[in-house]
Amino acid sequence: MMKYLSSHIEKRNLAPFVWIGLLMVILAGCSRWVWMDNDVPGTFRMDTVLEWEGQPYSLGMETEDHMNHPLRLDNLQMYISEVALRNEQGDWEKGDKVHLLDFNVQNQRILDAFPPGMYNAIRFGMGLPSEINADIDPASYPNDHPLSVVGSAGMFWTWASGYVFVKYEGKYALQAGEQLIEPLSYHCGTDDSFRTVTWELEQSIQIRRQNLTTTELVFDASKVLIGEADSIDIVLDPVTHNSEGTTLGGRLMDLMVDAWTIR
Amino acid sequence: MDKTPYTSVKESITWLLLLTCLIGCDRCQEPNCEGPDCNPTATPYPLEIPPFFPPMDIPADNPLTEEGVHLGRLLFWEKTLSLDESLSCGSCHFPLHGFSDPAQYSTGVTGAQGTRNAMALINLGWATSYFWDGRAITLEEQILQPVAHPDEMALPWTQAISRLQADASEVNYPEQFLKAFGTSTITPELTVKAIAQFLRTLISADSKFDQWRRGETNLTDDEFAGYEMFLREGGDPETTPGGQFGGDCFHCHTEAGLQFSDYLFHNNGLDSSFVSDAGLAGVSGAVLDSGKFKTPTLRNVALSAPYMHDGRFQTLEEVIDHYNSGGVPSSTVDPFMKYTTGGLELSPVQKAQLLAFLHALTDSAFVSAPQFQDPH
Repeated sequence: MMKYLSSHIEKRNLAPFVWIGLLMVILAGCSRWVWMDNDVPGTFRMDTVLEWEGQPYSLGMETEDHMNHPLRLDNLQMYISEVALRNEQGDWEKGDKVHLLDFNVQNQRILDAFPPGMYNAIRFGMGLPSEINADIDPASYPNDHPLSVVGSAGMFWTWASGYVFVKYEGKYALQAGEQLIEPLSYHCGTDDSFRTVTWELEQSIQIRRQNLTTTELVFDASKVLIGEADSIDIVLDPVTHNSEGTTLGGRLMDLMVDAWTIR
Repeated sequence: MDKTPYTSVKESITWLLLLTCLIGCDRCQEPNCEGPDCNPTATPYPLEIPPFFPPMDIPADNPLTEEGVHLGRLLFWEKTLSLDESLSCGSCHFPLHGFSDPAQYSTGVTGAQGTRNAMALINLGWATSYFWDGRAITLEEQILQPVAHPDEMALPWTQAISRLQADASEVNYPEQFLKAFGTSTITPELTVKAIAQFLRTLISADSKFDQWRRGETNLTDDEFAGYEMFLREGGDPETTPGGQFGGDCFHCHTEAGLQFSDYLFHNNGLDSSFVSDAGLAGVSGAVLDSGKFKTPTLRNVALSAPYMHDGRFQTLEEVIDHYNSGGVPSSTVDPFMKYTTGGLELSPVQKAQLLAFLHALTDSAFVSAPQFQDPH
């Protein structure tokens, strides 16, 4: 090898060195080894749609609950975490992002990276797992992180109780024709309120490396107040701030699990 | 001098390695500043982020420099920036009042009065919008407005710049701009950038509460009880799930990041009609934003009377009484003001404890800091 190099140097034939150098430059300059890495992930995106009783809904629209109370949702925010896809071997591939959905803003999306492959189930957590919920200082996150002081957008409760997982807020009236001034304020949180939403897919989805795969999730906000096994009377129970794990907050979170559907 | 082939190869490899490093290193070219207004020869300002505070996002095109902050302080206190040279920014933002105005409404150079109380200038580097209605998204954008506003300093920016450019005083503004921004040509953009740099240094983080958080002192029993009250949910748990008979202050005045503001906008139940001042709705155009105003910080709140966007309350006792009453119902009143029919029902003792805690947020060192006072 040394002989080979020496002979080239003696002959002032520098071309090999120049080519090696150029190759080094290219390799060093490229921070993403996209063409060499077989494990480069694809992106899985779930676009969310807000509905009320199966119809498109926007916050601020007046509607009715299941007991015919005029109602208007003004705020709906929700932490989504631990997004995971189950591959054909039965193993769950987990994303590592936390998302704060704010339905005051159009086109809320849940986006995470997954290894290429076929997947036959989807799951995600509503709320935050205990290890990142309480006793973590929001100030330790950069300001654009959804758990930061600014990024949490009013969803931070206290150091002891952690974050509000879901805010479902609005106004209602006792009867049709009355002004909507009665406050509706459901804040669900604490570790006991964490819920997991899972779907078995009839048709597997494929994640391709460096490609975007999308699906649509529907959140029917009316189902937060009535489900197959439970219902909420907003006049009797207009408020919960279950920082101590009240049963109303738990019931609401259970109802919310069934408020999600995949399209 | 002739080079041997060996030397040439060594040089080639050295150059290639250097090139490799430069291209491969993502951070090699990380600039101290970006944009035409940056002066790479200015001295970076050593901004210290206090314990428990979040990082401060400083615009890349306006990094803090010693020269810029100094210039900003001169300009903040510069009366030349008003039509009759009688008012500076500091004329309505008194340091001893937490950089706010003790008058309900500030009076401009023409004698006209505003319609809102001058906000306290505290920890602005962490704010995400400015003015009570959030109509400015950046600090620089906010600073542009009072100088030319007819009810405030009433000086068109063209005249303001002419005055600064022609300055023959000891300050010598063209020279100050040259030091800060590398140019002696003064513009409105550079002027607000300098003031913004100064305002970002107005950091209050040494109240008794801060000292207690750092383990340097103790709160009194009343202060601590007030702090606990501050952090507890309001309402009777028998009738309000999650209720804790608390003050329910922390939702909007969150202690996250120790800023005591959620940076959001709320209708806190002051009025049932918003004809006279629509608040955020005047900016967003959304009816559902009617009566919403920015949550102010509670730092130095004991110094920054009067209170609310229109300065209607003269004392903190009145403020606490308002929240204790539950406020006025309306179609946009915040859900946090959920006890509109009965209020928080805090006892006189509890209210006094809450008040004691709010006084523990006073940072005397901040309001009297020499580096923030009028240098002229």
